[in-house]
Amino acid sequence: MNSLFGIPMNSIMVVLLVGLGLSLAVVGYVVLRNRIMFRMGVRNIPRRVAQSVLIVIGLMLSTLIISAALTTGDTVDHSITKLAYDWLGHMDEAVVFNADESTEATDKAVVPESALAVLQTALANDPDIDGITPAIFESLPIIDNRTNLSSPAATMIGVDPSTLDGFPENIVTRDGKPVDLTGIADDEIYLNKKAAKELDARPGDEVTIFVQGFPHTFKVVDIVKDNAFTGAINLQGQGESIVTEGMVTRLDVAQNLLGREGELDAVAISNRGGVRDSIGLTDVVTTKVEAALKAGNIPNLEVAKMKQEFVDDAELFGNVMTTMFVVMGLFSIAAGILLIFMIFVMLAAERKPEMGMTRALGAKRSQLVQSFLSEGMTYNLGSALIGAALGVLVALAMTRIMASLFSQFGISIEPYVTPRSLIIAYSLGVVVTFITVLFSSWRASHLNIVRAIRDIPEPTYRRTTLRSLIFGIIGMLLGAFLGWVGIASGILFPHALGVSLFLLCSIPILRRFALPERLVFTVVGLLLLGWWAMPPVLYEAIYPQMDSDIEMFFLSGIMMVTATTFVLVYNSDLILLGIQRLGGRLGSILPAVRIAVAYPLANKFRTGMTMVMISLVVFAVVVMSIMNTSFGELFLRDDSRGGWDVVVQENPNNPIGDLEAALQQSPASEVDTSRFAAVGAVLIPNLFTGSDLRQAKEGTTDSYYSGFEEHPILGLDDEFLATASIPLQTRAVGYESDAAVWEAVRSTPGLAVIDAFVVAGGGGPDAPEFQLEGVGDTDKVMDPITLEIRDPATKRTATVTLIGITNYGASASFFGMYLSEETFNEVYGPPDFSRFFIKLEPGTNSSRVAKGIEAALVTKGAQADSLKDLIEEQQATFSSFWYLIQGFMGMGLLVGIAAVGVIAFRSVVERRQEIGMLRAIGFKRSTVALGLLLETSFIAILGIVSGIALALLLCFNLFDSEEFATIDLALIVPWWQVILVAAFAYGASFLMTVVPSRQASSIAIAEALRYE
Amino acid sequence: MQAQPVKRTPETPASNQNDIIRAVDVVKTYNTGYSEVPALRGVSLAVEKGEMVAIMGPSGCGKTTLLNCLSGLDDVSSGQVFVAGTDIATLGDNAKTEYRARNMGFIFQVYDLLPILSTVENAELPLLVSGVSARQAREQAMTALELVHLADWARHRPAELSGGQRQRVAVARALANRPAIIWADEPTGALDSTNAEEIMSLLNQVNRQNGQTIVMVTHDARMAAHAGRVIYMVDGLIVDEKRSDHAKPSPESATAES
Repeated sequence: MNSLFGIPMNSIMVVLLVGLGLSLAVVGYVVLRNRIMFRMGVRNIPRRVAQSVLIVIGLMLSTLIISAALTTGDTVDHSITKLAYDWLGHMDEAVVFNADESTEATDKAVVPESALAVLQTALANDPDIDGITPAIFESLPIIDNRTNLSSPAATMIGVDPSTLDGFPENIVTRDGKPVDLTGIADDEIYLNKKAAKELDARPGDEVTIFVQGFPHTFKVVDIVKDNAFTGAINLQGQGESIVTEGMVTRLDVAQNLLGREGELDAVAISNRGGVRDSIGLTDVVTTKVEAALKAGNIPNLEVAKMKQEFVDDAELFGNVMTTMFVVMGLFSIAAGILLIFMIFVMLAAERKPEMGMTRALGAKRSQLVQSFLSEGMTYNLGSALIGAALGVLVALAMTRIMASLFSQFGISIEPYVTPRSLIIAYSLGVVVTFITVLFSSWRASHLNIVRAIRDIPEPTYRRTTLRSLIFGIIGMLLGAFLGWVGIASGILFPHALGVSLFLLCSIPILRRFALPERLVFTVVGLLLLGWWAMPPVLYEAIYPQMDSDIEMFFLSGIMMVTATTFVLVYNSDLILLGIQRLGGRLGSILPAVRIAVAYPLANKFRTGMTMVMISLVVFAVVVMSIMNTSFGELFLRDDSRGGWDVVVQENPNNPIGDLEAALQQSPASEVDTSRFAAVGAVLIPNLFTGSDLRQAKEGTTDSYYSGFEEHPILGLDDEFLATASIPLQTRAVGYESDAAVWEAVRSTPGLAVIDAFVVAGGGGPDAPEFQLEGVGDTDKVMDPITLEIRDPATKRTATVTLIGITNYGASASFFGMYLSEETFNEVYGPPDFSRFFIKLEPGTNSSRVAKGIEAALVTKGAQADSLKDLIEEQQATFSSFWYLIQGFMGMGLLVGIAAVGVIAFRSVVERRQEIGMLRAIGFKRSTVALGLLLETSFIAILGIVSGIALALLLCFNLFDSEEFATIDLALIVPWWQVILVAAFAYGASFLMTVVPSRQASSIAIAEALRYE
Repeated sequence: MQAQPVKRTPETPASNQNDIIRAVDVVKTYNTGYSEVPALRGVSLAVEKGEMVAIMGPSGCGKTTLLNCLSGLDDVSSGQVFVAGTDIATLGDNAKTEYRARNMGFIFQVYDLLPILSTVENAELPLLVSGVSARQAREQAMTALELVHLADWARHRPAELSGGQRQRVAVARALANRPAIIWADEPTGALDSTNAEEIMSLLNQVNRQNGQTIVMVTHDARMAAHAGRVIYMVDGLIVDEKRSDHAKPSPESATAES
């Protein structure tokens, strides 16, 4: 992984190392020049062991989260990169068919043998190229005759043993021995590991392979590792990260079997060097190969940079994972920073008399800061180390979960961490803590010596200081500027930050006019919350066009939680009033309840900070939980199946023809076709050539927004169009219903419907290349759009009119552009193969029917699936991944829990004398303990409830917005998950207070009341 | 005012029906972990119902320790303490706590009010912990605040009151549950002379009007002069006692330490 948020990782590391060096230099200066201050700071550490342990835990959490996120990215990057090297071996590029850029029409999507001859002649002695070898491959059904297990689509690949010298490790047995295909008999074959596992096959087994419906028997010589040359991955182009069942034989055997003599599908090229270092020559070799093809006048071919693209994809995937974990971890990191700040403010309060005395003796403020920094940095250096190490452990646990999720794609995840990631995590943890401690110590050093010595609370001033006023004015100006920048650029983040800053910085200004603190904080809190919780109708009226992304989630969380905490903390006496009203009903626990509520309300800073920490993380986890569940349900809804129950994929080499007839004729068939309510067919063009399209500019037929872009274009037969109920999010003017659109496509040639992912904003990061202009993802009605479609091989084109866009939920199952059979055939001719959709009579088990079809058509290689099962499996994987993210975010709750613990331990120390007095006047031990436990409960419950309430508020608004309304997403609150989060947060906070509450209850009264 | 010496330790006080407090050869030793520090070295005394007793002596003589041991705030190392005929060492922690809540009031040197609660809430706290209903507790607390002339300050927090007012709240809190015994540890130690006189007058008033027993630790002989009996301690022993027929301030008195 080489970059994060677009910044090179090396640059991040250098900057952080400089920061680390500066932090250490400051401490070094104190050690050398002011040793007594250093000693004063460091000797505080062993004074209270339990408190010190909590401080270390609090300080390490930010580092832990960063370390876990970076290690996860490293692991994903490393694992997929390793797969690239394992699966491609010495192969670096592949010359494959691509008619996109060519003007010459062809009806055969193949690599001619002449191309191989041209390349071998031109590049045989090239010092940058180790080998050039041809390959042919097809997907075929296979059955192991011993086990009777089958696979409907195993890739048979034929390679030329005489040209494999440059690819020494591409075909090797499971124990690593190279395989020589020269001596292999015509009826012998090697199976790859994936196929062997699927068929439970072993060397010596007989397998039957079906080509055009005819069986061919082969003997399995041995099992070979999964590799591009053993049919494990698609050799056609871009790095495909899903491993498939495969088998390898000689090129001539495969060509004969497939009836494709003289044809190839790819020419593989090995760059000079080994498996990993050869990648550096990719661009050089690609240029040479392209030049050779051009010189040989070979059209319709491209050089696919297989290995480089695979490795780039791996890095991109690693980056996406790291970025996602870092962004989702931001809530916890923010809570961690608040905890560090609070810890040091509390430490300062504890040592106030000592600090006052030190100042009285002549110590400067800067020396107090030095003493605190020494203590903070001693904690910091150790806890960041523990945090970085624990982060790796957390990442290991997460990668175990990811490994099980990815194993279904044949991807093995191996834990991996780079020293650079550890250095970054450690340095970032130390630098963030250093800055926080520096700020809190500077704040603590501004004490009044007399008040500090006598430990008298700081007076509450009616007006803020001039300095605060100046900061307020600067902040408001900055807020106004950011607000303007956001409006001018159409980006919501700076605008929202500006509005929030403007409101927050008005506090010191309003307080300067001696307005009451409670009034100011309440009004500003309500205004800030009001802005962030603005109803979508109002928001859309004020801000019609603003772009936003995931960072708004973080900002909204911080601001909404801050605003709510202001309102709650400054109006907490109303809560106390409510509790007092309960009065006698609380019975003997009334005194404990009253104290439990009164203490946190009296200390607004601590209560507010702790509430924010808990609320922030609960907010984030609950929002993610609602999103995950709601989106999961969207794809699981019945309409995402478009009214169909079973999908059957035809094998191009073994056409089915009439599905019902084929099932009835199959001797092995146990499928009752009378249970079929309808069978529709989707016609698919040649997979090698694909299909592309472009959009005509409005009102023209000869001016286009872009060149042809690749996108699946599919034909639908009459029965499909008559039966399907695929919901649409946008319809062209004049169509009253979705059914009217589909009926028009069926009855009027030249009409089309497309998926929602081509609409701006609807596709996310993996948006298709083709993007539709002139229609938004929130539009319900559009003008018909003129598109030109093309067969890249034959260059045949046609103009079609787009009259509908499928909704978001259905677009995942029905991705592509849909035409009538007639319109499809006009451009693409007879389909390469079909995909059949079956609608079953009510009460028929779709899983059983799918299994029956696959068994009946095993010799045809038909692949049948229950659509419900398919979608549920996809959603299970999707949900599991998001649960992992939620779990990662939930780690932030540890911050809030640690804060509760720190406060509870501190309270026992601070209130020692008060507890002595309470015990003297009749408080039982249990009442004292109960008071502290209830106090913790009060803070934790306020934080948890406000976090949940804000998450619900945000989600209600989001789901009520035009954007969400269009994709027809229903808000589903996973209450059990919410309750689980709340119970964990509360339970852990409660447990954290058990020890201090026991300490409080066992304070010796007479000892506590001593004044001397 | 004529003070007369009456009893000396270690003599065991004779059992008397009127005694509400009786200590028999009480020893209290603190273990610091490095050494043992004797605080009380065999103290015996008796206090009759309705008496107002002051304990005086130099710093470290064991005055506060004696008060803590007599009131059950601290355990004795040996010896016995009877309060209303009950050996308090035989009571468990909860029973002792309940006994304190119902029968004793405490006044400390530094007010020890909870800053987070209002005046009336502080005053009603002992009533609530002893199971008095919230409504009745509030009524009794207000009555106690009226007695100390702070009813108008009931809703204020301690931070808004003067030192004298705070100590009057502490007195109100001690009186709120109408205890049989009021323990006062340096109740005027943090006050100026005017406020100190006011507090002592209050204590005299409740002692005389309600017959409540008051045991008070003080440095100040002027404050001790308000008591009917003054016990002098040195090095963990009672060395002298003086009784007076009536208690009233004595401006010319010097402190016990001087």
